[in-house]
Formats: sequence, structure tokens, C-alpha cells
Amino acid sequence: MSSLKILAVDDSPTMRRIIVNTLKRAGYDDVTEASDGKDALAKMKVEQFNFVITDWNMPEMDGLTFVSQIRGLDEFKDLPILMVTTRSVKDDIIEAMKAGVNNYIVKPFTPETLGEKIGQVLKSVGRS
Amino acid sequence: MMDKSIRVDDSAKNIHAELRHLADSISQIIKGIRVAQEPIAESRNKMPQAAEQLERVTQQTATATHRVLDMVEAITGREGEIETQVKELRRVLPSTYFRNNSRVKRIVERICVSVSANRNDAYAIMDALQFQDITSQQVDHAISLLEQVENRLKDVLVGLQLDVGPESDVKRKERAYDPNARFSSNSSEQSEVDELLNNLTKEKQNN
Repeated sequence: MSSLKILAVDDSPTMRRIIVNTLKRAGYDDVTEASDGKDALAKMKVEQFNFVITDWNMPEMDGLTFVSQIRGLDEFKDLPILMVTTRSVKDDIIEAMKAGVNNYIVKPFTPETLGEKIGQVLKSVGRS
Repeated sequence: MMDKSIRVDDSAKNIHAELRHLADSISQIIKGIRVAQEPIAESRNKMPQAAEQLERVTQQTATATHRVLDMVEAITGREGEIETQVKELRRVLPSTYFRNNSRVKRIVERICVSVSANRNDAYAIMDALQFQDITSQQVDHAISLLEQVENRLKDVLVGLQLDVGPESDVKRKERAYDPNARFSSNSSEQSEVDELLNNLTKEKQNN
């Protein structure tokens, strides 16, 4: 079991359930869900997370705005962020990387890809 | 003098005829617009119903998806229980038991293989259910297009100073979707993303 405390942000309850299940299968048991960027920010104010998985297209606050906002805060500037989205256009990926995501997964994803990407992100921030 | 008055008279008659023709044309156009008003207003009024119907498709698909997820979770849970029981069996039986009972050993091994295969299949079903998020985004895109058409039809009615009819009481919700969302089981899409990410990382390191 991993000590990673993950925040999974997606407006689709189906996707959140699949992500949580996939993470549990990979040994990540401590997962909190948020339905959009605004909800995620509220949860981050009261709880500490050391990994964020976020969708892009969400109502209230989209994933890109959410990432830009947390990257603007000192306490979250090194927080590992993985974007999981249907958007696969080159310019979108560049925009997401510029906003501050550490890695990027295109939906539909495989459990192997999710596990590999989490590993890559943790390695890149020196936490593997 | 006489010739001139005849020419003026003819011109006036021509202008009069032209104006009458113009008035007839305008009258025909107005009639045409009046005839078109009803189908335009009717089409506009049907748009929210169509959007609502599509919304219901998304909701029902989501409900069905969650039922399947419930079942997948139940199946994987039971498979886990069987594995625990087999482990327990191996623990409580004497270590020599399976060595002396090769047939039982084979049966237990086959159970373990089946359990593992069942669980993997159940997880594959769960992974495939990601389609629901993608199709709901496609439906949201279609609803947004219908709402745009509805607004354009209203603009037409307002522009022609015709009765726009009653406003729909269907509440519009905020939609967040990727207009290009598609369900692709092709792993090359992620490989292309990974290649781009690698290039971006290299560029960043070089700068």
C-alpha cells in the first residue's frame, strides 16, 4: 500500500469511480474525490494532498484554471499534477504543460498507463 | 407639346405599374413570412425538447454504467474472497497434503487461474466503461449545437418582428465538454502524446 494521498478531480462520477478503483488496484488506497476545480481547491484548503489527478473540461472551474491557480500558490508549486482528459490536440497539451501539469494522459486510459505515469511523475519530482 | 404630355402620361403609367408590381411582391413576401413563422416557431420550440431527450439519454446511460460498476465491484470482491479462502486452505492443510494429492492440487491451481482471469475480465469491463464519460461529452456538444440553432431561430423571428412564442421552461445547465472527445482504443494516441511530452521536456532542458 502506498502512502500517497491523492486528490482525483473529475466532473464525471463514472470517471471518478473508475479512477479510484484503478488507483486502489495499483495500491493507492488514500484517494479523495472532487467534482471540479472549485471543489478541489476547497478540499485542498482543509486537507493536505501529495498528488493530484485532474480532468480538463469541468463546469464551475476547469482543470487548466485549477492547475494555474494552484501553481500560483507557493505551497502547491511543487505538487505533482497529472492531467487525464479527452483532449489530445497538440496545442492543448502544450497549454496544459505551460499551466504546470507534470504529465498528461488521454482518455480512455489503461490501468497500466495510469500506473506508469504516476511513477514517472513521482520520479521526476524525486519522490519515487 | 402634345407628344411630351403623352410621354409623361406613359411614364406615370409605367411607374404606377412598377409600384403595383412591387407592392404585390411585398405582399407575397409578407404572406410567405407569415406562412414560415409557424414552422420556425415550432422548430424553435422543439429544440429544448430534443435537448431534454438527449439529456435523458446521458442520465440513463450513467445510471446503467453505475449498475455495471456495482456488479464489477461485487465480482472482483468475491474473486478476492475466493483467493483468500484458497490461501487459508493452503495454510490449514498440512504442507505435505498437496504433494500427496496431486489431483486436488491441480483443481486448486485451476480455481486460482479462473479467479485471476475472471477478475481481469471484470477490470477490463470497468476500463471500457470510460465510454460513458466520452459519449456524455459528445451528447453535451450536440445539445449545445441545438441550443445555438434555437437561438438563431429566435433571432430570425425577432428580426422579422414575428411572434417568438413562449419561452421554454427547460432550465439550461452549464456544459463543459471537449467537442472532439472520442472513444479510441488505439494506444498510438497516448504514444503520440508521450512523444510530444518527451520533446517538450528536451526543449525545456536545452533552454
